[in-house]
Amino acid sequence: MIIRNKDKINSPGMIKEHFEKLGYICNDSIATAIYLACHLQKPILVEGPPGVGKTELAKKTSEFLSAPLIRMQCYEGLDEAKALYEWKYSKQLLYTQLLKDQLGDVMRGAKGLDESVSRLHQFGDIFYSEEFLEPRPLLQALNSEDGAVLLIDEIDKADQEFEAFLLELLSDYQVSIPEIGTIKAKSTPIVILTSNNTRELGDALKRRCLHLYIPFPDPQTEQKIISSQVPELNSELSKQMVDFVGQIRDLALKKAPAVSETIDWARALLLLNVGTLDHDWVKSTLNLLLKFQDDIEAVEPEIRNLLNPKRF
Amino acid sequence: MQQVLGDFIHALRQSGLPISSAETLDALNAVQLVGIANEPLLKYTLSLTLVKRLDHQPLFDETFTRYFFSRSDSQADTSTDDTIDPDQPQIIQQGHIQQDHTQQNQTIEQNQTTQQDQESNVGNNNSAPQSQLGQQLMADDQAALQIAIVSAVAQTNAQDMKLFTQIPLITFQIMQSLGDSELAREIETGLNNSNLAESATESISENFALLLQEKRRQLRLQVRDLVEQQYLLFGQNIPKQLREENLQKIKLTSIDHQHYKHMGDLVKKAAKQLASMHSRRQRVTKRGTLNVRKTIAANAAYDGFLFHTKWKSTKVDKPKVMVLCDVSGSVSRVARFLLLFIHCLQDVMPNVRSFVFASELGEVTDLFKSHPMDTAMATIMQNWGNMPTSYGQALTDFKDLGMSDIDNKTTVIMLGDARNNNGNDSVEIWQEVYRKSQKVLWLNPETRSNWNSGDSIMDIYSPYCSKVDVCNSLRDLTRILGNLLKYQ
Repeated sequence: MIIRNKDKINSPGMIKEHFEKLGYICNDSIATAIYLACHLQKPILVEGPPGVGKTELAKKTSEFLSAPLIRMQCYEGLDEAKALYEWKYSKQLLYTQLLKDQLGDVMRGAKGLDESVSRLHQFGDIFYSEEFLEPRPLLQALNSEDGAVLLIDEIDKADQEFEAFLLELLSDYQVSIPEIGTIKAKSTPIVILTSNNTRELGDALKRRCLHLYIPFPDPQTEQKIISSQVPELNSELSKQMVDFVGQIRDLALKKAPAVSETIDWARALLLLNVGTLDHDWVKSTLNLLLKFQDDIEAVEPEIRNLLNPKRF
Repeated sequence: MQQVLGDFIHALRQSGLPISSAETLDALNAVQLVGIANEPLLKYTLSLTLVKRLDHQPLFDETFTRYFFSRSDSQADTSTDDTIDPDQPQIIQQGHIQQDHTQQNQTIEQNQTTQQDQESNVGNNNSAPQSQLGQQLMADDQAALQIAIVSAVAQTNAQDMKLFTQIPLITFQIMQSLGDSELAREIETGLNNSNLAESATESISENFALLLQEKRRQLRLQVRDLVEQQYLLFGQNIPKQLREENLQKIKLTSIDHQHYKHMGDLVKKAAKQLASMHSRRQRVTKRGTLNVRKTIAANAAYDGFLFHTKWKSTKVDKPKVMVLCDVSGSVSRVARFLLLFIHCLQDVMPNVRSFVFASELGEVTDLFKSHPMDTAMATIMQNWGNMPTSYGQALTDFKDLGMSDIDNKTTVIMLGDARNNNGNDSVEIWQEVYRKSQKVLWLNPETRSNWNSGDSIMDIYSPYCSKVDVCNSLRDLTRILGNLLKYQ
């Protein structure tokens, strides 16, 4: 996959350009991370507040490298049966039924127990073999011939054991299945892990990854993002919006509005055909930006001040 | 290049970033890939590979700037000098030229010999200094001097500096190794000779001596700058580490007010350690027992063979903790720390109820939840602090407030010196607490020899405690509370 895309990943600057063409405005740090991940074949651990485009980064990377995106959402209680592989029990069962039927033929004419056992051993044993293996996301990623982008979303939601289980995959791109042995990646996938910091991740995991922190974007970048996502919006309004959202982020809120919320808001304002932001429009659409009633109540009285900061 | 990155990582470690050797290797590989010509790219690359926590990012930024750029002004002219390998990238030339000193030492020696050759060619000039350092200063060969200084810095182990007060000493040592004493002697003779009418051929004139003196002063400033920079890079965080270690051992009662803030950070650190330990312990018990009914239902499709096992998810009982804290005059300082610790531990154990008392007892759980630590502390000290102690009254209040909530999963921690001012002891209430709860800990800030002396009635309560312990340092506190989580 890397070789196929060699001309696209020559430098971080080039990656940034390509991402921009795909509609993902990123800073140099993100482009450098992707560049290093491609060349050093290391996973990236992406952290940052919700809604700054962590998952989107993986999606765009897969689009950029024209590789399939294999996504694994983590949650508490996720185990290897759901993440790595599962045996196809029903097929195994059918196989044993078949075996039973054939057993008579195989054993016919065998003299004594020893001979029966040795005949049984000669009989091919495929009960635990790759044919009966149901691959789950991690194994799918390792098995894909042309490489893939593996997104392990919200790794912090998974248990600590699962984190430990991932270590082998992340450092050597291989997994061990007790019944079969070690399965190595056919082509090294690009692995992107995201975390919302609900719990501190282990050092062993962090050590194996490049660590990328995506903060809220600065006003220029955010405006660029909006104009790429909602191109119909006039630039005056988008500037006003970005300023307003930037100020809201500085307030002490339960959940600060993220980029995705700004984009939603921009789409809504476009739909409502709003020319310039004023108090009433902001008040009636504030629920798109803020997701807690407490936050809305805290911001509402401030709207006038926030819209006209120069007066103060 | 390896040397430069190695030193940089050393500097990062000194400022508190835990960087493993695997990460160092990653960084080296990554830097080899991106090159070092582009400064922002280098910074992003190093930060992606070395910084694994958000709160380390500012430290990294600071160290990066300090390491690679702090001396760019004073050394800007050296970058044009051809004694430095032109292949070396700009950034390294401007910042640390410390790499490959050995190779550069050779260059210095060559420089020196060529200078001496020139000297002998010109003949015995009156205004030429005899000492080597003097010659270098007069030749104004900044690059050679810089290299000489850097190699001297490496020889004097300036990187191992631990305290700020070592700076003058190290500066002196470096000046010495540069040949400062000879130069000083020469200047002195130069100045003395000016008084005499005849000028000796081997000594220098007065004006010249003054010039040399000025140059020597500048050199000293330059060296001192460099040493200070080394201290900032490598040494300034060592005192902090030493202090943290000492603070752990120090008795809680004798901690200065100015150490308070650091102590708070330490308590938070310890609480966090405990938190991670605790959450790991919680997971082990998660699979529980086989849920036979569900398993059979789930495997009906498999001809009754039990392929899919279903487990009863056992609910992990989080330990319930009740803390009673004596905040009367004698123990109030220790109590503050226990309260601080319990406050931090609330992340781990949601079921912590805290009570404080001197004579009357009150619950402060909500106060902790709704107020920041400092305000909560102030309120507690204002309402309950510094009153005469009465354990009898406090226990009676506790019976009303908390007794009904105690069950066999509750741990009760009492922090107090059991000095009851000869009042009523209400020991029967404590006995009931002991009977109903899973565990009762009594932590006494006084040393064992002081127990039961004067109005202390430790003996009366101790039969009704699962464990009685001395607790007067953070280390004690961490150990005791660690055990509480471990064996719960």
